[in-house]
Amino acid sequence: MRVAALLSRIAMGDQVAFAEFYEVTSSHLYGVALRILKDPPAAEEILQEAYVNVWHHAGSYEVAKSQPMTWLTSIVRNRCLDQLRRREVETVTLTSDDDDAPEYDLPSESMTPAEMLLAGAEARSVRDCVDTLDAGPKQAIALAFYQGLSHSELAAHLHEPLGTVKSWVRRGLERLKNCLDRAGMGRE
Amino acid sequence: MNLSRPDRVPRLDALAASYVLGTLPGRARARLSRIARTDTVVSQTIRAWEQRLSPLAEAAPPITPSPQVWRLIALRLGLDAVRPSERGPWWSRVGFWRAFALASFVGVIALGVTLMAPQRADQPIVVVLAGQDARPALIATLDRDSRTMTVKTVGGAPVPPDRSLELWMLPEGAAPRSLGVLPSTGVGRVTLPALPDVAFANVPALAVSLEQAGGSRTGAPQGPVLYTGRVEKFY
Repeated sequence: MRVAALLSRIAMGDQVAFAEFYEVTSSHLYGVALRILKDPPAAEEILQEAYVNVWHHAGSYEVAKSQPMTWLTSIVRNRCLDQLRRREVETVTLTSDDDDAPEYDLPSESMTPAEMLLAGAEARSVRDCVDTLDAGPKQAIALAFYQGLSHSELAAHLHEPLGTVKSWVRRGLERLKNCLDRAGMGRE
Repeated sequence: MNLSRPDRVPRLDALAASYVLGTLPGRARARLSRIARTDTVVSQTIRAWEQRLSPLAEAAPPITPSPQVWRLIALRLGLDAVRPSERGPWWSRVGFWRAFALASFVGVIALGVTLMAPQRADQPIVVVLAGQDARPALIATLDRDSRTMTVKTVGGAPVPPDRSLELWMLPEGAAPRSLGVLPSTGVGRVTLPALPDVAFANVPALAVSLEQAGGSRTGAPQGPVLYTGRVEKFY
């Protein structure tokens, strides 16, 4: 795969490969980061960190353990979620004012999160698994995954009790796992 | 709490799933991530969920970041500060020439008096080719009345078996011109298109790139430039 080949060249300090790698991957990763953080400067900062990391640690990427885009996407998602969840902890403990963060409007999207989930499933021939989810769990998982919504944000967004969305998410993930593992996907 | 104990596995799996999905609240998230650093069962459970869910991320439409992001990355890493989509071949980039000027300056200092003394018409021409660390990798010498240039390996990185070093003249305002493939070690010889006075009239520098075995098939450098050296003006 092209990205894996670029990574091995980057590990040897190849700047041309690094620039090409950025060109091929940055829009995807920025999309992932911006949807979760909804804050362009913060998303750009995460992206910068991620690529600086790739330059220094491309050699530690292990082909056998994961696809390169899975590896990269996970790095970026984890950093975004760490920041988002840490911010929430600080907001809860330090201030009671949650109106100080300006809302950022994402560029208008051609797909809803639930549609993205299905499109992703199609690309990976696990559409059947996503399709086994009921509408509620499917939407909750899509919003959490693509937009980084917490349980309470999901509850507010979907106008459902907190307990309901929590169990939607939990049972939805269980069902996805069983289905994907049966289909031979998503295993090590 | 030992999350890796067999009776804890379903609990661990649920935690890892909500960690990867993103719904795990802040403190629990930080805690699980801390445990994963030392506990391989925990980190593998997380990785398995990443494998399951991250393909779904690929369907989300991409959003292009501002050009500033690449500029800052390049700046932080000390790379050639050209946006990837705008980049041309390496020899036509301003950043390359700026880096080259600096590297050859440092190279001259490193070599001390050898090059500080003005080259005279009766002395051989010496071009020192060095990498970014300014350590000499190859030394090219030739007599002024000869078209044969001798290139000796004195350092540099080992050449992979499936690659070749190729030597280029870098004429001002024109594309590089190949002088041929060099041996990976030892001494190589290349033939100039003309006597040095003519051949180097418009050539301020030489460069060595890493190419596929046997050299570039296109007549232009394809691989990364490894070493550069300034052709001192002596006329």
